[in-house]
Amino acid sequence: MKKYDVVIIGAGVAGALIANELAKKGRSVLILEAGVRGPKERTDLVGNYLNSTNRSLGSPYNVFPAGVINKAPIEDAPNLPHYYDQDYNQPDQNKYFKSNYERRVGGSTWHWLGNCPRLLPNDFETASKYKIGVDWPIKYRDLEEWYCRAEHELGVAGDHDELDNYFGAFRSQPFPMPKIWPSYSDLLITQKLSGSSDLWSEFNDKPLALMSTPQARNSEPYDGRPVCAGNSSCVPICPIGAKYDASVHTKKAEANGADLLDKAIVTRIIADESGKITSVEYQDWEDKKHNVKGEIFVLAANAIESAKILLMSDLANESDQVGRNLMDHPQGEGQCIVNEPVFPFRGPPTTSGIDKFRDGTFRAKTAAFRLSMGNDGGGRSNPPQGVLKELINDNFGVVLRQNLKARVTSQFRISFLAEMLPSPDNRVTLSPDKDAAGIFRPRITFSVDTYTLNSFAVIGEVMKSIFLALGSKLEDINVKNPSFLPAGHIMGTCRMGNDPKTSVVDKNLRCHQHPNLYIAGASVFPTVGSANPTITIAALSLRLASFIEKQFKPVTQWHQTEKGQK
Amino acid sequence: MASNGKRSEIISLLSEACELEHGLACSYLYAAFSIKQSASEGDITWDQLQYARRWAGQLYFIASQEMFHLSQAWNLLTALGGTPYYGRPNFPQSHRYYPIDLPLVLEPFGERALKRFIFYELPEHVSDVEFLVKEFHIPKERIQKAFTVGKLYESILNGIKQIPESKLFIGDPALQVGPEVCHFNEIVKVTNRETALRAIHTITEQGEGTKTDQLDCHYGLYLEIEREYRNMRIAATEKGLKFEPARKVIENPMPAFYAGQILAGANVIKNDFSSHVSVLFDNIYSLMLRMLQYVFQSGPLPDGLQKNIADGSIQLMTRVLKPLGEALTLLPSGHGNDLKCGPSFGLYRHVSFPANFRETLYLIIEALTQSADQCKVLSNNAAAPAQLLNATANLVSVQTYISNVAAMSLAEFASAVKS
Repeated sequence: MKKYDVVIIGAGVAGALIANELAKKGRSVLILEAGVRGPKERTDLVGNYLNSTNRSLGSPYNVFPAGVINKAPIEDAPNLPHYYDQDYNQPDQNKYFKSNYERRVGGSTWHWLGNCPRLLPNDFETASKYKIGVDWPIKYRDLEEWYCRAEHELGVAGDHDELDNYFGAFRSQPFPMPKIWPSYSDLLITQKLSGSSDLWSEFNDKPLALMSTPQARNSEPYDGRPVCAGNSSCVPICPIGAKYDASVHTKKAEANGADLLDKAIVTRIIADESGKITSVEYQDWEDKKHNVKGEIFVLAANAIESAKILLMSDLANESDQVGRNLMDHPQGEGQCIVNEPVFPFRGPPTTSGIDKFRDGTFRAKTAAFRLSMGNDGGGRSNPPQGVLKELINDNFGVVLRQNLKARVTSQFRISFLAEMLPSPDNRVTLSPDKDAAGIFRPRITFSVDTYTLNSFAVIGEVMKSIFLALGSKLEDINVKNPSFLPAGHIMGTCRMGNDPKTSVVDKNLRCHQHPNLYIAGASVFPTVGSANPTITIAALSLRLASFIEKQFKPVTQWHQTEKGQK
Repeated sequence: MASNGKRSEIISLLSEACELEHGLACSYLYAAFSIKQSASEGDITWDQLQYARRWAGQLYFIASQEMFHLSQAWNLLTALGGTPYYGRPNFPQSHRYYPIDLPLVLEPFGERALKRFIFYELPEHVSDVEFLVKEFHIPKERIQKAFTVGKLYESILNGIKQIPESKLFIGDPALQVGPEVCHFNEIVKVTNRETALRAIHTITEQGEGTKTDQLDCHYGLYLEIEREYRNMRIAATEKGLKFEPARKVIENPMPAFYAGQILAGANVIKNDFSSHVSVLFDNIYSLMLRMLQYVFQSGPLPDGLQKNIADGSIQLMTRVLKPLGEALTLLPSGHGNDLKCGPSFGLYRHVSFPANFRETLYLIIEALTQSADQCKVLSNNAAAPAQLLNATANLVSVQTYISNVAAMSLAEFASAVKS
């Protein structure tokens, strides 16, 4: 096999963006993806989901022909074998890791929600500002132009004027698309909250008000993809491709000349004595081993798999930080019955949120959080099927239909995601057990600490105040969250920092110990703020691609040099 | 067609643009209404249906953008001293009415409709004229000289540039409607040449794209849908499957009630029940337009009533006319071969709402109540499809909404609501 300029491990959003940027510049690029690609038709994935009897995030994707063993397993539905090695029997539900991901071309963007809020300036400096967590080695302003580029690459619809300078997060360019229209319930809440903007002023001086959520979902045709048609099934799959997924950029990368090998599970990254990476060893789904050489290597396999690969390779870990500081955004929900219909299930699951609680001096003691207004009725906790099950005992026929309609059209939920702090004890290591491919499973130890858990009670009160403003009765409100829900935001295991003793990569995402090994994705986040990570991943990836390109001589100069050599 | 730099000429061209945007929206909606919604309707597999539903979604989106273009054209008209105009000829429209080689018609979704739509949205700088020559059998030189919506706006633009700004923009700025009233996120309040140019640029970019991007505009979308449709038909033929994504509906329907005004090429709906539903559709359609027109000429009203009326109009569009239009494509036309009908989008004799908002509210509520009563009667008929029942419930809801907002603002309406 030829020697590539750049070998990228992982075909999720980070790997796909980097591959495309470098391939466009004429670099020879290989992407190695452990999972499968395709199928050719999106409708096949939708069909898989509809035909599943036990639906999960992976239902559209983890369907294989008879006799084919999935050699890139994931943590999916509860009744399937666990992929993670962790203590599922311990009673405290806040003490194990719940988020999962996809291992396929396009990665977890297949089933992500699509929300794209940026991190705030103070999210990069929590240690300096609030004496919690650690500071990033870069500031918001270092990343701002890349956020703009990422929003154009993914196609993010948002309200520039509303968000410009909110908590100091200036925006140098407008979004490429106008915001997704607010839903009916968004408009109702805005109206009902208009007299309550002073609520919760003890957090900060921002009003309690809805803001449009920037999202990678087309509000108009964009990049050859259709406008959102309100199918409302974004998680786990957009049937029409209006929501961005990274297959957009894997296709572009291949069209620009990148090679992509699926079913290629990287088992080891190999370095020479100086620490320079020389090749990558991977195993195909027939268990045959292969080796590929490159000049520069990018590990973009998500925070759990990237850490696992480094640990298996015994690389980049003089700091003993690889695998540590695993983070998620612990989530929760509140539901209510509003005293008038709010007509859910029209449009994306969320179109607006409340960002007021994302920053303030309170963060010294308790977690920042963001609220999302739901357009999906009772949310995860009380879907229409659950309501039907509840009503069916005492209702029948036309009355059942009428009561079901009355209830479902009036259900409303708010979900929240809260910041959690890095902890060295929250970590990924190698399990002694192996998966179907004979490769180490990840062992995970994880718990959410009181900094975050203590915020849940306050968040519950905030949600209750909004439900009451909407006109709900107390008995129709539920804000209890005995344990956190997973957000699918897997972050932190190879964090960036200036000090090689406490971090894995530097501010340019280059491994401190290995000059030609870079890490992309959320594994490099030192802290997580209260923003869904994907747009930050995308911004960092585009920035990294630009940095990597500068490590090469210009293509024409190289050709001239080669021609001059005898 | 070039503007001679007179205000009257620009207003005339803008009115023509309004007619076209409006007519196109109706044409697209008719095609969208005709698309099947379930594989149980026959001659379409589940996989094919997913494509058909996506095409319907895109048609609805394009139609909604045409309505945005109409609204934007109204802001342009008002800025120049004109008034919002929604008139247009009924369907089918003679190809001589506009200097266009293809008339505007109401026909079901299919290859012929798609090719027509591609031609309507032709960019000025179209890259593949040969394809159009082959598809439409129109001589190349005629395509290159073809009247297009884009060329119409170009004439308007040229006219706007010819008249001094201070003389041209004489309209009351308070009458301009922004997104805070009408929910079109990108609508521009036109007060000067710069905002006028921005407004026109948005319209043409959405319709025919730019020189460098013809992918994400209406033209590009229709090209893509037509390509997918063609490929789907080829694939179905190869597998020995049927592929009929659209219901069998007549073209250019007209309710029997208006048979005296029938146009050449129109098809009178011969089934009595369907004809009544069609008349109801036309009445609500006319009401929706008049409400929206009122919003664009009333200026701010007390207690946010301007926005409430806009909301009511949009709700009539999406919650009442859509299910009613779909219901009509399921109802018998009375013509042979089990052909169904469709909405005629007929505009007949009526007047705009008066300037006084109290009177207008009264008239709106009265019209909504009468339509709701009629809808209830029709939906009790055994032949009524589920969509008609849905439209009835939603129409009652819109009537209640407008009545309540009127009651909150004006005492004389409060007692009416209580009673």
